Amino acid sequence: MQSRKCGNTTQSRAIAGRIVRAIPREALLLAVAAIYLLPLWWVTASSLRPAGSLYQYAIPISWRTFFPDELTLANFANIFAKLDFGQAMSNTFLVSAITVALGLVVNSMAGFALAKFDFPCKRLVFVIILVTFIAPFDAIVIPLHQVVSDLGLINTRAALILPAVGNGLAIFLFKQFFEGIPSELLESARTDGASWWRVFWQIVMPISLPAIATAAVMMFLFQWNSLFWPLIAAFSSRFRMVQVAVATQIAADQTHWANLFASAVMGSLPPIILFLLLQKRYLKGIAGMKGE
Amino acid sequence: MTSRDSKAAVAFLAPALILLGFFRLWPAARSLAESLRGWSGAEARAFVGLANYRYLFQEDPVFWSSVQVTLKYAVIASPITVAAALGLAFLLRGKGRRLSFLRTLCFLPSAVSLSVMAVVWGLMLDPYYGLANSILKRLGVPPQPFLSSTNQALACLILIAVWRNAGYWMMFFLAGMESIPKEVYEASALDGASSQQQAWRITIPLLARTMSFVLVANTTFNFVTFAPVFILTRGGPIGSTNLLMYEAYKSAFVYLDPGRAMAMSSLTLLGVLILSIVQLKLARARFEC
Amino acid sequence: MRRFTALIIAAAALVAVSAPAIGATTLEVVWMGWPKNLVDMQLEDFRRANPDIVLDVQLVPFNQLFQTLEVRLASGRPPDVFIVDGPMTASYAERGYLMPLDAHLDSRELSQWFPASVEACRYKGKLYTLPYATSSVGLYFNKDIFRRYNVELLPEDPGHRLAWEQVAEIAKRLTIDASGDGQPEVWGLIIEQCDRPYQVVPFAESKGGRPLSPDGTTSEGYVNSPAFVEAATFYWKLFNDWKVSPKGIMQAPIAREYFGNGKAAMMLGAEWNIAQLRNFSDSEFGLSPHPYFAGGRALTPTGGWHVGISSKTAKRDAALRFAKYITGHDAVATWAKLFGNAPARRDVYASMKDVFANPMWQTLIYEMEKTASPRPVTPGYLEYESVLKEAFSSIQYGADPAAALDSAAKQIDRELRKYR
Repeated sequence: MQSRKCGNTTQSRAIAGRIVRAIPREALLLAVAAIYLLPLWWVTASSLRPAGSLYQYAIPISWRTFFPDELTLANFANIFAKLDFGQAMSNTFLVSAITVALGLVVNSMAGFALAKFDFPCKRLVFVIILVTFIAPFDAIVIPLHQVVSDLGLINTRAALILPAVGNGLAIFLFKQFFEGIPSELLESARTDGASWWRVFWQIVMPISLPAIATAAVMMFLFQWNSLFWPLIAAFSSRFRMVQVAVATQIAADQTHWANLFASAVMGSLPPIILFLLLQKRYLKGIAGMKGE
Repeated sequence: MTSRDSKAAVAFLAPALILLGFFRLWPAARSLAESLRGWSGAEARAFVGLANYRYLFQEDPVFWSSVQVTLKYAVIASPITVAAALGLAFLLRGKGRRLSFLRTLCFLPSAVSLSVMAVVWGLMLDPYYGLANSILKRLGVPPQPFLSSTNQALACLILIAVWRNAGYWMMFFLAGMESIPKEVYEASALDGASSQQQAWRITIPLLARTMSFVLVANTTFNFVTFAPVFILTRGGPIGSTNLLMYEAYKSAFVYLDPGRAMAMSSLTLLGVLILSIVQLKLARARFEC
Repeated sequence: MRRFTALIIAAAALVAVSAPAIGATTLEVVWMGWPKNLVDMQLEDFRRANPDIVLDVQLVPFNQLFQTLEVRLASGRPPDVFIVDGPMTASYAERGYLMPLDAHLDSRELSQWFPASVEACRYKGKLYTLPYATSSVGLYFNKDIFRRYNVELLPEDPGHRLAWEQVAEIAKRLTIDASGDGQPEVWGLIIEQCDRPYQVVPFAESKGGRPLSPDGTTSEGYVNSPAFVEAATFYWKLFNDWKVSPKGIMQAPIAREYFGNGKAAMMLGAEWNIAQLRNFSDSEFGLSPHPYFAGGRALTPTGGWHVGISSKTAKRDAALRFAKYITGHDAVATWAKLFGNAPARRDVYASMKDVFANPMWQTLIYEMEKTASPRPVTPGYLEYESVLKEAFSSIQYGADPAAALDSAAKQIDRELRKYR
């Protein structure tokens, strides 16, 4: 009797201990969720509300601040029917997708060269690549505009795509990743007579999915979020990009809050969907890992 | 362990270098040349040598206070962001819908355009009727001035940067963790290592490359921050958030003095370049066995 | 129905852009980022009457407009027609970006606009832009708040203005902090564009100050003159001493939200609020004429968007046709109806009597005719405005007015050197 009770206690203690140990983690997860969800939820809730004033529901704070009592998709219908938001979305999607496709090839190749080859001036090349992503875009935008003009690309889609294909940060990312791939793997393929080109495409790339996925998200976001460059490089209304469409909702004389929030929500969906898709792919392996 | 096949290396590098040369290096060189010229007027801009730099160093108090603000911003924001990103990656890696949902949630801010995000934070941090103060009031905390206080504005910008960027860099850490072979963990589990020990002894050292990447990239981003200042504070109150890139923007587009603007961004570029190389060296010394 | 027409127009515009008619001229227009459907409505007639011109209207967000114009005007491929903030006329003209228009408009056409608006289009004796809209400012007040706290309503007749000293007293009585947490539930006075020289410089001008030297290249002795310092000290007291105005509300749309939602009793605001405040149906609003300093001059801000034609355009005739259309009676009337901005043309006021008979409009029309004071003409307006704006922002946050204006004068003069 005594011993059984004792055993029970140890068991329940162990369970209790596990629960207690789990509490900080759970609390942390909850806190993270709250910090991230709050502003984003507010934007989403505001986009689903009938157009109205901004502070109407924020003061005093109540459940109504976060849960509209009247839901409507009118703001979303508005931005598509009246403000050509769909055209801006498809334009930007096209530009971003082409940039990512070209960028993945070009930058992974360069990263591979830096990670797996020795050649004269390698350090210099690496420093140059550092410079290309450190140089603030806002600082080179005027000369870049001149260069693109000189190349005759002004007001074409190429003016949006080409300058973003070579990406020093992506090269750096690939370099860091490829350095972790054992060189023996490549050398043995080489001794079997495979060309570097084949080694790269058939051995290196297939095992580099996590790096490819992160680089893809990174380059996609860069294009998706570009605002000032499209305004000066491909200004025609038929090339209008999504962030331009979002930013036009913010004006000096009037700001249409509901449309602003609706376009913000709509404009964030594609990168999020991309992230979800890639997360499903590249985080698959983590599943079986011990490390909780 | 690297190949000496220079021809192949050049072939692999060429496309990227050509593109970067045209669209990054050439413009950067041109802006460096601009920094050696006077201001734009109706007449052609004259070559003035290092006069713009001399001016910045000797008689431009706005530049110096801007340097201080930028250093404060980057030096505080960068380590917090990296630590938060790493923390999130440890917390949110693994299987399950809940974790996947939270990962997406943390990534979300980087998907929302900066201009919208800044507007949202501006509204949330409205000193009188914003959401943040409504919540503080509920909790019995007196309302705070946030962005309209010289003491709090920069801190607010830092917190917003951490909030926005931590999830982005978390993505890189998660990918880095993913590329650590499972066998390493299995072996150490057999040796009876606890998960905490595994984190310190295996995961973090093996994340060295990702870490140096995130460290350098994030520090760079922080040094050249522009948009949040432009939208939220316009450098104020009283210059307390006047980051270098915002001052350079004003020089180029408002004061129509590209010489000063380019001199400022060239100096920033040089500073960040040196810092990045030092960071990379340190990271290598610290982690590489 | 309106939505349907908008859809048709949008579809038509899309087709027009993707398949330009043979022999058509494509005209590039850089325009403010106003809602696309409204801009299309306004351009409907032009498109119908000019099938040989294909419009490529590029709507640029307000926050990016000036940078975009700077880069594009300096490049070899500027837009044919572009929107110009009135006081920027001199800056663009000085740098040779604008085509002189004197030869293309006769005096009859020019007489349609207010003389002050046409004056703002000239630089060194030449006409460079055409006025698209103008503006005026008055003191809006929330009648419900005045009644709730038993304060006499403000006068609303044209020209019957209060002194700033009186307004300050009323603002003190109507700054209500019932909870005692130091954050009023109601503020006495909010200034819509509270650090922009457009609204702030008239304070100093009422005290007898002048914004800039007559030749437009010197600010020392002007923006730090005793009149400016006195006015700036009054402004400083609003935020820091009497605490009747909220610090840090720099954006007009937010200021309007404060006022519209009853968080401020009075708002010094522009004419567009007459239409915008209809979105806040819970309160009754009034409009009192722009205040002045006792014993000083009565004057009001004015000016607005203009339209300019690039000096490099190869499509002069099409550009002129468009510029005349967009500043013409029909387009301006449509815009006034859709947006509520003040037209710069007399004939629009005459043809839209129903809209402008509104007593609020009457108050502002009186100001536009009698007290409107244009901004200084200087090729360095961009620099002048930005530096002065920062100075007033600092003063609002508590900086010493005299010191802030002294250092502003120094900085402005340094930036204006290049135009001497």
